[in-house]
Amino acid sequence: MSAVFADYVKNKYSRPGPLKGIRVLEVCTLLFGPAGPSFLASLGAEVIKIELPPMGDVTRSLNPFGWFYKEQGPMFMHINTSKYYMALDLHIDLGQQIFKELCAKADVVEFNLRPAVTNRWNIGYEDIMKVNPGIIYVEKNGFGQWGLYAEQDRPSNDGASQALSGYAWMSSFPGRPPLKQSIWICDVYGAMMAEVAVLAALHHRKKTGKGQYIEMSQTENIMRAMGWVWPYQQMTGKGVEPAGNRDQCICPADTFLCKDDLFVALAAPAPDEFLGLCRAMGRPELAEDPRFKEHTTRLEVENALAILKIIADWARTKTAAEIEELGKQYGFAATRLHSSKDMYEDPHRRARGFVKEIDDPLYGRYPDHELPIMMSKTPPKHRWTVRPVGFDNDFIMTTILGRNQAQIDELYMHGVLGRWKDAQGRRPPSDWDGKSGAILRR
Amino acid sequence: MAEHKRPKWAAWADHIRSLDDPAKNFEKPEALDDLVVLDLSSRSMAGCFCSSLLAELGAETIRIEPPGGDLVRTYSPGGVMHRGTGLAYLQEGRNKYHITLNLEKEEGREILKCLAGAADVLIETYPTGVMEEWGIGYEELSKLNPRLIYTSISAFGRFGPESGRRQYDYDNVSQARSGIQYGTGEILPEGKTYDEMPYAVPTKAGPWIAWAVSGTFGAMGILAALHYRCQTGEGQAIDIASPEAYERLHDYALHWYADQGVLNERFGNLDTALWLYGFFPTKDGGVFLGGLRLEMWKAFVDIIGKYEEWGAEEWTSLAPFMKKDWQLKYQAMINPETMKYTSEELTAKSVEYAKTGRLAPITTVVAPIVSPADAMKDEVWRDRGIFTPVQDPVYGSIVCAQAQWKATETPPRTKWVCRPVGYDNGFIYLKYLGFGPGRLKELSDQGVI
Repeated sequence: MSAVFADYVKNKYSRPGPLKGIRVLEVCTLLFGPAGPSFLASLGAEVIKIELPPMGDVTRSLNPFGWFYKEQGPMFMHINTSKYYMALDLHIDLGQQIFKELCAKADVVEFNLRPAVTNRWNIGYEDIMKVNPGIIYVEKNGFGQWGLYAEQDRPSNDGASQALSGYAWMSSFPGRPPLKQSIWICDVYGAMMAEVAVLAALHHRKKTGKGQYIEMSQTENIMRAMGWVWPYQQMTGKGVEPAGNRDQCICPADTFLCKDDLFVALAAPAPDEFLGLCRAMGRPELAEDPRFKEHTTRLEVENALAILKIIADWARTKTAAEIEELGKQYGFAATRLHSSKDMYEDPHRRARGFVKEIDDPLYGRYPDHELPIMMSKTPPKHRWTVRPVGFDNDFIMTTILGRNQAQIDELYMHGVLGRWKDAQGRRPPSDWDGKSGAILRR
Repeated sequence: MAEHKRPKWAAWADHIRSLDDPAKNFEKPEALDDLVVLDLSSRSMAGCFCSSLLAELGAETIRIEPPGGDLVRTYSPGGVMHRGTGLAYLQEGRNKYHITLNLEKEEGREILKCLAGAADVLIETYPTGVMEEWGIGYEELSKLNPRLIYTSISAFGRFGPESGRRQYDYDNVSQARSGIQYGTGEILPEGKTYDEMPYAVPTKAGPWIAWAVSGTFGAMGILAALHYRCQTGEGQAIDIASPEAYERLHDYALHWYADQGVLNERFGNLDTALWLYGFFPTKDGGVFLGGLRLEMWKAFVDIIGKYEEWGAEEWTSLAPFMKKDWQLKYQAMINPETMKYTSEELTAKSVEYAKTGRLAPITTVVAPIVSPADAMKDEVWRDRGIFTPVQDPVYGSIVCAQAQWKATETPPRTKWVCRPVGYDNGFIYLKYLGFGPGRLKELSDQGVI
């Protein structure tokens, strides 16, 4: 335990978030767009999610096998935390004007629309630059704003990105069809990288006063994370093939079936780790075997498969928990496979505040993940969940744009501002008392 | 493929390209060129990835290895080495100065304190307690340099009941601990065993994604901390656990289990929560099909000529299709249809449908599932600067994935791919400690560098 993190969770709310004072606007739907701004919200930025009334974000409709939580799409709830919700019709002139007023008072604005749509709506980068030269303006989509795929106006999403990047191809077992990930890895990874870009741009702005335009494609970002694949193909002239759970660059590193039909993942490439594993197996002589002694020799496919077979046979005689324990004792990395049950029940996750109870005025209590960055002086905080479409319109129009109630009502009347449709995921939960969570007008 | 007809908005595309084409990256300023970063990563590519992201943005990044080099230099497919370095590190040594320093020795630790005094960011990946036992943990270093942003990326984090475990962080183990591997993989058919079908098991992703994710969250935390430091002058400690970082990318699994007791079981190439959304076989491989709105799903049924037969006209909601039994039923109906085409034919049909189909311009997302080899050959990514080789004076022309985002002002760029072990000892030790060749020779003889 590091002393600086003593009582971290307990004292979390006595410290500000690191991005206090930063205002972010998003005009985003699905995942790649909205996931990033919620990271910034947890880091203390004020994030305003702007949806098109009355239906808003498509993700509000999505659910696993028909399960909604209080009528809301559970993934929408996970992706769109701690934001303010505004519904503004950007198709109409007055909506665009209000949007520009907000941009003039914002630091960051993010979109995930098809290429050239922002331009068509008169809210393209240069339109916004005129009202705010320091704006950090991000557009996220499958293929960027230029290049053949962008110009073909190809739609894209996470699955397409897994397919086109080669990520899925190299994630199955040898000889088996490519395998899709169970999470939307490319979308969320691209969203993370976008915030790295945004934060770096903020630093540059501090030094120069200049904002910038940033273009993100989730496929290009996931390719960046695929590392060794590219020089391997360049140098060997061979394509990378899948290897199941075997790590092709680290040996031993694999997942094994145990005596209790549970799985354990272990890794032991360093000399001390490999020797520890060999000892744990009761086979210390293996650490001196010329096929296995050096890591680079051990990685040669024939040798790698030989040592992994020895470990697999041994693992089948132990339970997963026993091997995890031996890892601690002998100093190699090992864990039994965790599931969503472990996410919920594991005391370590709870003690770190990584898994915590949300206490939301509209959606009540439920567990969710904190941003996995523990910061000793500025702890990130996931505070509330999603809101109905347009729920915070009045608050935003009053506090940021200085409109009075009569002016706001007029904007509603002209359809510039909108509120939720009386439909699943758009309206408040059925047990809502008509007041809770509403900020200005109750 | 038919000749490409440029869209009405081609002028916009050209304009944006003129502003952010990566071919012009080297003419632009660098966002982080005022920062000094120390990377002490040990055995972990998460730390190296994290410092790469900062180095790509211009931070002066000093990679500190034990004499002889860090284990990560041996990470390579099949153990292939290129001029003494594994292929994995040829990606994540980028833009860094490489020095050696033996932290097991008192003198080495004193030198590290000097470097930490001059640095803005320090990244380390040791098990909890190692840095403290050496007397160079956050408490000590922050006394010397209160502005230091000290970042740990590890297997269990720096606090919590498991944090005392002295095990290093490896990608495959973090993937297993995240809960995500559990839910990914082929379904084991009823009555079959794992021994019969050893591939129908929880399956990790091929790339080092847990490491990439924790490294990227690391960079996000560091840059957020930098923002705070600019306002207050205060540095801080950052703690990231790789399994948590990757787990955060899981979506509703935790909530689903808590509310319904449903485990995140494997669902093969379909998606528990989405329709139409999955991988389907074709004559020559497979495609991803996506249509998250009812019309897009109907468009697909039309594309394969089953609109009337399957009664698509009558469908009014996508909701029932997300249910498990419907997904499996329709998967079985779709498979033989997609098998009639090549991946390219299906892709072309979808593009054509957007122009002439009954529901046009609505169409279905169709993407061929390509190998990494084909991805690297794709002219579109080359045109967008992803695979531009880096001309490295030591390692030659190396393909590095780069230009992962485009920017008008401070885009990331890759200047060199790696350096041999201790290559920059002369430059860095002279710059920060005034050590000339004489002193370096002494330190080398003593095994300090």
